[in-house]
Amino acid sequence: MKYRDYLKDNLVGIIIYLSTIILIVLILNAFKMPIFVSIICFCIFIICGISIITISYIKKNSFYKNYLSNLEKLSKKYLILETIPEPNTYEEKILVNSLYDINKSMIENINEYQRSTIEFKEFVELWIHEVKIPISSMVLKCHNNKEKYDKAFLSLIRRLDNQIDEVLYYVRSENTEKDFSITEVSLKEVIRNVGLKNKDDLLENNIDFITDLKNIKICTDKKWLEFIINQIINNSIKYKKDKESSIKIRTTEYDEKTVLEIYDNGIGIPSKDIKRVFDKSFTGTNGREKVKSTGMGLYIVKKLCDKLGHSIFIESKEKEYTKVLLEFGKNEYYKIVR
Amino acid sequence: MKKIMIVEDDKTIAEELLFLLNNSDYEGIILKDFENSKKEILAANPDLILLDINIPYLNGELLLKEIRKESNIPVIMVTSKESEADEVISYSYGADDYITKPYNPTILLLKINALLKRCENNKSMITYKDIVFDIGKGIVKRNDKEIILTKNEIIIFNLLLSNKDRIVTKDELMTDLWNNDEYINENALTVNISRLRSKLSDLGYEDIIETRKGIGYRIV
Repeated sequence: MKYRDYLKDNLVGIIIYLSTIILIVLILNAFKMPIFVSIICFCIFIICGISIITISYIKKNSFYKNYLSNLEKLSKKYLILETIPEPNTYEEKILVNSLYDINKSMIENINEYQRSTIEFKEFVELWIHEVKIPISSMVLKCHNNKEKYDKAFLSLIRRLDNQIDEVLYYVRSENTEKDFSITEVSLKEVIRNVGLKNKDDLLENNIDFITDLKNIKICTDKKWLEFIINQIINNSIKYKKDKESSIKIRTTEYDEKTVLEIYDNGIGIPSKDIKRVFDKSFTGTNGREKVKSTGMGLYIVKKLCDKLGHSIFIESKEKEYTKVLLEFGKNEYYKIVR
Repeated sequence: MKKIMIVEDDKTIAEELLFLLNNSDYEGIILKDFENSKKEILAANPDLILLDINIPYLNGELLLKEIRKESNIPVIMVTSKESEADEVISYSYGADDYITKPYNPTILLLKINALLKRCENNKSMITYKDIVFDIGKGIVKRNDKEIILTKNEIIIFNLLLSNKDRIVTKDELMTDLWNNDEYINENALTVNISRLRSKLSDLGYEDIIETRKGIGYRIV
């Protein structure tokens, strides 16, 4: 709060006050009072006026200065109410009370919104849970009646299942609550599960699946990590070269982190697209030309990685290779707690 | 024949599972009365239980807890819920294995096979005619002659021997290999089998592994 602005706000009062003084001085003069009486009166009025306005300025300023500086310091501005001291004046009370009401109605609004998102998320999870049942039946039926349904059929079911998982993890990644659980997970086991899941597609496309994994355990959510790696492998299969394709997976351990490298010799990503691969709904040249893509896969992967605290990087050279690096921090604290 | 109890409330899945198990030389039984599930299971006295988590009355996790009070029957939990928490709970209640829907039937069969074997006191020696196969050491013996097998050959020979009454499909062999971190392709499988064959013929068994074209292999 600036003094000058405060004066400006009270300009009308000041003008009326000054005119009153002039009027009084004029009246005193009209009644032929000695000139020094008028001067004394004038001085007293001016001193009084200045002190009244300054004192009220100081009082207000101390409140608002504190209020504004707290507001600036807070990262969550809506918590400002908690920092305001007990209001003294009528004006302060109005401000505090209205802030309280605004806050309350906003919280109610957010709660309603939150409830509906949670309900939606629960519905999606339930729906996915339900839809997996007929999918399992289909897989079993295909397996039991191999003459009737060929491998292409199973491959379609797998695609369907992958798309459904994408929805599930999208919902999970968008939600603010943490519904993952971090445990010690063997990277070998995760790669094994993903490999088995994609075995038929890899074999049918003649893609060599080469792994060089040490016995490394990392702290993560197994299911989430499997989804992440499955998405990356799926991309490698989708954007493979026509001949001699391979996917190489290896781990490297450093003092403070473990790095998982997934390398494929596929068609690569154009350099103009590479910065945007993690953007929502970004399909890029490959996604448009080669295989239809939703542009959601890597976006979800990135979000899940952020939540789990893993870093993900993509390097690529068009027509040569794509390399995805996943970095897992070593959490000493977690080990001690265990 | 090993008896396997199917606890699954979706009829189609239960029937397809029954068909799958019966085709793989197991005797499948479907649980009918979910209200008295524990009683019916214990009365049937199966060798293994496939237990779905989401079933009426008592859910799978609680049922498992109840069963564990009285029996150590091997249990594989089956669920369509994709969550780490359910898995942790299942293991803490005493499940032996865990698989998520939609599962690959071949993997399910491998898991059943492995679990049943583990419960038979870990037989690490298989005898076939006068051949002794030491799985742990990866050695095949006949009389005084010994031959060392590679990891892939051990996996293949082991699967063929433990299913010697039926044809083992290529897919089953490949799945078992992949399940043991050997990510090979079908050409490599053929190479491995012919190597295994020549090793066995060194022991005097010429045509012990029979090829069924387009289907798989079988021990004769």
